Amino acid sequence: MGFIGKGLFEGMVVTARNFVGSYFDKERLVTVQYPEERVQVPENSRTFPFLVFDKDSDPVASMRCVACKICEVECPPQCIYIVMDRDEKGKPQQRPKVFDIDISVCMQCQICVEVCPFDAIKMDNNYEKSQYGRFDELVEHLPELLKSNEFYNKIKPTEATAVDAKLKADAEKKAKKAAPAAKPAATAAKPAAPAAPKPAPVAAPTAKIAIPDDAPFTPEQRQWLSGYLSTVAASGVAPAAAAPVAGTPAAPATEAPAGNWPWHDPGLGMQRRLDLAKETPIADKLMAAMAQTDCHACGYDCRGYADAIATGAETDLSLCLPGEAETANMLKKLMQEAGKL
Amino acid sequence: MDQVYKVAPQLLKFLSYLLGWLPWIGKPVAGFLSNPPAWFLLAVAIAIPILFVVSVFPGIFAYTTLVERKALGRIQNRIGPNRVGRWGLLQPIADGVKLLTKEDIVPRSADKFVHFLAPVIAVIPSVLLFSVVPVGAGLVPVDLNIGILFAFAISTASVLALFMGGWASRNKFSLLGAMRAVAQVVSYEVPMVLAAVAVVMAAGSLSTLAIAKAQGGGILNVTHWFVFRPWGFVGFILFTIGAMAESARTPFDIPEAESEIIAGYHTEYSGFKFALFQLGEYLASIAMAGITVTMFLGGYNGPGSGPGILGGLISMFWFFAKLGGMIVLTIWIRGTWPRVRVDQLMSFAWKVLLPMSIVNIVAVGMWHYIAIRPIAWVVTTLWLVLWFITLSKLAASENIEKREYRYAS
Amino acid sequence: MEIAFWILSAITVIGAILAITMRNLVHCVLSLILFFLGIAGHYLLLRADFLFAVQVLIYIGAVAVLILFAIMLTRHVTGTEGPREVLGGKWWAGMGTAVIIAGLLWAIIRKDPLAAMLPAGMASTSVTEIGRALVADWLVPFEAMGVLLTAALIGAVVIALEEVIRKR
Ligand code: SF4
Ligand code: SF4
Repeated sequence: MGFIGKGLFEGMVVTARNFVGSYFDKERLVTVQYPEERVQVPENSRTFPFLVFDKDSDPVASMRCVACKICEVECPPQCIYIVMDRDEKGKPQQRPKVFDIDISVCMQCQICVEVCPFDAIKMDNNYEKSQYGRFDELVEHLPELLKSNEFYNKIKPTEATAVDAKLKADAEKKAKKAAPAAKPAATAAKPAAPAAPKPAPVAAPTAKIAIPDDAPFTPEQRQWLSGYLSTVAASGVAPAAAAPVAGTPAAPATEAPAGNWPWHDPGLGMQRRLDLAKETPIADKLMAAMAQTDCHACGYDCRGYADAIATGAETDLSLCLPGEAETANMLKKLMQEAGKL
Repeated sequence: MDQVYKVAPQLLKFLSYLLGWLPWIGKPVAGFLSNPPAWFLLAVAIAIPILFVVSVFPGIFAYTTLVERKALGRIQNRIGPNRVGRWGLLQPIADGVKLLTKEDIVPRSADKFVHFLAPVIAVIPSVLLFSVVPVGAGLVPVDLNIGILFAFAISTASVLALFMGGWASRNKFSLLGAMRAVAQVVSYEVPMVLAAVAVVMAAGSLSTLAIAKAQGGGILNVTHWFVFRPWGFVGFILFTIGAMAESARTPFDIPEAESEIIAGYHTEYSGFKFALFQLGEYLASIAMAGITVTMFLGGYNGPGSGPGILGGLISMFWFFAKLGGMIVLTIWIRGTWPRVRVDQLMSFAWKVLLPMSIVNIVAVGMWHYIAIRPIAWVVTTLWLVLWFITLSKLAASENIEKREYRYAS
Repeated sequence: MEIAFWILSAITVIGAILAITMRNLVHCVLSLILFFLGIAGHYLLLRADFLFAVQVLIYIGAVAVLILFAIMLTRHVTGTEGPREVLGGKWWAGMGTAVIIAGLLWAIIRKDPLAAMLPAGMASTSVTEIGRALVADWLVPFEAMGVLLTAALIGAVVIALEEVIRKR
């Protein structure tokens, strides 16, 4: 039977049922009393990246990150900042000294995880990242970012197991590959030294432009500027120096001195790098095609991988992960041009 | 008040007995209290109802907010406040402290004086309303012989506060809220007063105490409640609707419709001024519930109520129980029904409520003049039902125009 | 009683003066309400509690609110600039009206014809008495008043309707 206002009373019945039901039916009362109770987050949920290390005894030494900066380059909002660790002599240490991620900028896209060739960075599912400050508190530094592999296994068992299995398989493959090459080299861990004439470390012939100390720059800026200006000067000088020998293509071009490869700069584009290495031997050209991040994804540094290819010690041309297909294709092309393939 | 006047000496005697044990001041104070001069007795007799009104009803207000939040929560399958104290029992205190310590913001271009005055004026009528609400047999702060009229007069004055607050804030939402409030209160007052006229006719008095008394007797002191008469039932519904609109409760919370005009007239109020507005509004709605109880639900009458100490206490219990019931009903309605539109609100008041309340007055007349009760029952019921059907047919058959949106493309 | 009378009178007079001198129209109305309140207080003091309630209900609850509503619907008056020169050069007209009204009031009060008109036994102003007087002794004027008000109401509706029709 319908009468005016029937719907109003039906509504009242519904709310009354809700009211009473919420006292007896646990299903109805969905509220999670947050600080005391928490929702079990799904395994694949993600909030913020962290860095994985393997050994609890020495997190810094056993961290998987090699400071290749791929994630820094790929991160869409550019919230990662990495400085590679170097020893006193300035030798790269294959691990970051500074690794900062800005919580307030990170958009939790997981792209850093996707691009990392070393499974060194993974997504956490801790959603309690709020801080009392707005500035440095919102940047996570290396110590906070480092989490153990066990932790990773705990929060994401499925994913972590798969990653562990893959890493183990990779390590075995590498060990097998390294075994035959171990003979000429003294250490198995280090890739075999290329047989090609290793460029002797000579003093840089090109004038190294140094920014005076009293120039209005911070030390980092000064260092970068010096390097940049030197590179520019070097590239400006190189064609002029090569001019006299241009007529004699058979003449062996002088290899650029070690440590002063003007193309060894990840900021330059592929074409620019190849231009800089135009008049150099094949090994240098190959090197210029690499991504220049010295990430060791290939098992060498950029120099070493190029030399290994040039000498034929390494036949796999697709090992440069940061360079992606571009590098692999270019390596193939260069090798074909050189008639080695 | 007369009752209080009788009780006051006993109370003072008891106090003097208690205080007599104190050293130094105990003896003289006890002597003074056990044999008080007339002016002191008068002062005490005046002070007791005032203290009662300003302590009990704000207390009820405080816990109404808690009950409201809890009940709304349960209606929406939430838990509601449960952090401050057990079951959130200290929540009102926490709210009070929060509001007291909040910054008091006055808009720069506001009319400072009126802006300040509005929340104060919002509370005064609401508190005054309680002065005519009988809370127990013979227990009414002031037994005015124009009680009901006084209540209506005072409750219309509360609209002034809404207007002042909305106008002085210099905010378009506030002004809109104020205009809605004024329009709403003015138009709902008419059916409300007319619905009350029916009760006044039946009880033959404007005094709230006399109206409550008229509903005593019958089986268990229940059957003579006005709500169990055809006209009383209709009047109860009309009056409740009017009272809810007057105190701007959902579904008539148009003056402060959050989703449309932020908070209406108190958009620009913060801290304790805001709290005063809330206090005024809730007190008015509680007082209106009290008046509804008095006029239709038998007031303090209930099984066991009557004169004397025990009967008085039982009658107080019944009054407050019914008051609680009315409050719960408004909360329940708030948790269920959506807000009406402004035009619906107006047409409902003028096209349904107003005619119905006039029809109701006629029904009371019939009831009065038809001496044989069963016939009176049948006739008035038929009369009311027929009119209700007619009016609702009229209101519903009104051909709804196709709406033209002039400003939206 | 004396003190209450003087306080209420002060409130009434101050309210009245403010109501005509304030620049802002809304302030004027609020002062007017103060004035109404003072009058209501006087009624209470005279033990005419029914009149008090009616004064509050009608003058404050309805008349003042209506005026406020009308002001809200008009433009340019809610600001600070008020009507400075309402009377303009015609101040003498206002003065004349005031003098005439004062004279009339004085004459009425002096001769006190109201007291003569009142039937005996009207000293009590209880609601019952007033009601009886209205519908028994003074029925015709009362009904005439009702007709007049109804006519005014219908007139207002007709005027409003015309506007609506013209808009269509
Ligand atoms: S991509 Fe992986 S290894 Fe490279 S810097 Fe980022 S986290 Fe470290
Ligand atoms: S999750 Fe995305 S945004 Fe965040 S650090 Fe990684 S790449 Fe950058």
